Amino acid sequence: MTSYPGRWLVVDLSRGSWEWITVPREEIALFLGGRGLGALELWRRVPKGADPFGDENVLIFAPGTLTGTDAPCSGRTTVLAKGPATGYYLKVSVGGHLGISLKLAGVDGLVFLGRAPRPQYLFLAPGVARLEDAGDLWGRTVRECTRVLKDRHGAEAEVACIGPAGEKLVRFASIMTSVYNAAARGGIGAVMGAKNLKAVVVDPRGGRLGVADPPTFRKLVRKAREALYNDSLAYDLHRFGTARDVDLLNELKLLPAYNFQRSHLPGEMRELSGRSWPELGYLKRIVGCGGCIYCCHRFTRVDEGPYAGVYSGGPEYETVAALGSGCGVTEIEPVLAANELCNDLGLDTISTGIVIQWAMECYQRGLLSREDCDGLELAFGNGDAVVELVRKIGHREGIGDLLAEGIARAAEKVGRGSERWAMQVRGLEHSGVETRGAYSYALAFAVNPRGPDHLHTECLAEFGGTKEAVEVVEKITGDRRYAVPDTVEKRAEIVRWHEDIYAVSDALGLCAFSTTAAYGIDEELAAGLFRAATGITMGPEEIMRAGRRIVTLERCFNLREGLDPREEDRLPWRIMHERQNDLLSSDPVITPEKLRTMLREYYRLHGWDERSGVPLPETLDMLGLSFVKEELP
Amino acid sequence: MPGRLLVEEERCTGCTSCVLACSFAKEGFFSFSRSRIRILRDQEFADFRPRVCVQCAEAHCISACPVGALSRDGATGAIVLDERACIGCRKCVEACPYGGVAFDEEREKPLICDLCGGEPACVEVCRFPEAIRYQEVGG
Repeated sequence: MTSYPGRWLVVDLSRGSWEWITVPREEIALFLGGRGLGALELWRRVPKGADPFGDENVLIFAPGTLTGTDAPCSGRTTVLAKGPATGYYLKVSVGGHLGISLKLAGVDGLVFLGRAPRPQYLFLAPGVARLEDAGDLWGRTVRECTRVLKDRHGAEAEVACIGPAGEKLVRFASIMTSVYNAAARGGIGAVMGAKNLKAVVVDPRGGRLGVADPPTFRKLVRKAREALYNDSLAYDLHRFGTARDVDLLNELKLLPAYNFQRSHLPGEMRELSGRSWPELGYLKRIVGCGGCIYCCHRFTRVDEGPYAGVYSGGPEYETVAALGSGCGVTEIEPVLAANELCNDLGLDTISTGIVIQWAMECYQRGLLSREDCDGLELAFGNGDAVVELVRKIGHREGIGDLLAEGIARAAEKVGRGSERWAMQVRGLEHSGVETRGAYSYALAFAVNPRGPDHLHTECLAEFGGTKEAVEVVEKITGDRRYAVPDTVEKRAEIVRWHEDIYAVSDALGLCAFSTTAAYGIDEELAAGLFRAATGITMGPEEIMRAGRRIVTLERCFNLREGLDPREEDRLPWRIMHERQNDLLSSDPVITPEKLRTMLREYYRLHGWDERSGVPLPETLDMLGLSFVKEELP
Repeated sequence: MPGRLLVEEERCTGCTSCVLACSFAKEGFFSFSRSRIRILRDQEFADFRPRVCVQCAEAHCISACPVGALSRDGATGAIVLDERACIGCRKCVEACPYGGVAFDEEREKPLICDLCGGEPACVEVCRFPEAIRYQEVGG
């Protein structure tokens, strides 16, 4: 038995047909599963220059190698496509119960080719796959669609679907699963919409999954669980969620505010912190993804006042930063309402918030008038306007239609210098980290193949906030003094290690919190779990090399598409040219020179050309990626 | 020493870690259908209700069994099934007022928690939420 038989289903939506393929064991050994095998499939199936909304693009769902087992925090699925925001590689990780359901139903991977002639959804159960008509679901919100499908297929059936935003090809539309878990970034939901695919429904009942070596697996799972339970961050994460420390970040002047014009919200803002929600009555339930032992997700509801009746999953830290502090909003209720709308319409809360912040700054500087904004008073701090704008974006109404294209495209239209406060690179909106005060993050954002965010390489360790974080920095750099966020020194080392382990996490289906925020599962344990689950020989160095292989292949995907690292491995203009004087740091800006210094070291560590940022042929050979060479420019 | 499971529904996060741990401990593989513990889940309203045998003092399942296949283990306090005697009639499933008896459709036998000999696998994975706890009783 193995937790990853390598059974992938390839569905051709244009023809309405499907076939099962088996991934060879040697490929599982090289690319592990999940994000790794997903990246390989994407490389093979998407031709250079393919239109992200065209028939040539593919949409891949790839649960991890360990997903479906009781390895702690192993319930994640990677969703991949060529991204509509950037035109480059896009991988998005999602929790909820989709991955477990797919694995128990006997599906290790799911590929959608072509485009359905009319709206459809895919139904899966152990031994069953069929396409169903989705005419009656088209236009419905995520909650409505999920309700109908659960009525039809049973409460145990897991639903992943798009909302109206995905159907209308909003370039930051999400795919939602377990109602409130988002595969959010880069417009992955718009790829699904372009394919006329409304939903994937998976009924896991009757399915089963085994492992190669049950006694060893049991032992290692216990060890991993103990390590995670004992991490000093873990219990707080459970009790108060990812938004637990918004007020603390504000005190430390690390909270993005007013579209990154400031990193601090003056005045009372404590209700933005997850820590306050239990006592304020908004927190109704702590929620866990499938197979998680932390359970950091929230379910919130507003009982009274103008926003009474608002309920949804979350909000997460990023959502609070994007739709709250970033918009200058200090009250939580409009943030909860905007979060509910994003989840129900199927929008990425990060990009939605960043786009709105950009529009607010345009309004502040007189580039957009009240008339341009459909009569909305788009001043920073106006929470009601944020909520209304989210609705307009999701439906592409009025100014929402312009913003639905993402800020890179919107700023191009509005022009007049608005590009300078468009917090984006290559078309993806920058996530809610003040990168001018966190240099590892800055480097990680600049080299992230999908664009500037923290979900390719989570470098929380550089702050040295917990004893585990300091230990990790010491392990990587040899000196715990480097556990400080505002130096260029050793950032490349820190990024590269985190990049590798993050890729391993995504491939195995482990939540990044179990490897790179709470430092419970290291490369040794990851390799052991993989070995015991699949029966494939794997050591700690080998599994980190597999992580590197995945990261490098992703880089190559972008190079094939024409990426010029010298121009495009960068940060938003504001981060590189405007000092963030709120920061306590002595030098609060990532100048082009600083970034170049870090990039050069990063390329060197990777075995890439130090000037061009292109992997050297011998590096590709060493990683077993020789097959990409003939397709690189 | 005999023990029992204590369930606090409102603390359940719906993560199903207990379901996976249970099926692996008792069956050797991961399955939603072959676990002794299940969670009734309404994802939209985050309403999660674990369903498992809670070792009632007055066990309706035992008295409902027409062939006497169910009994209480004096040492652990768990309800145990004599699989050979069981005829798969589901009377125990119907009789349980708590919905704590699952049914294995493949083997046509009820699935009842045996407390894993005093170290329940489900409790181990619920350490943070503490929706399921194990309590020793008497002595």
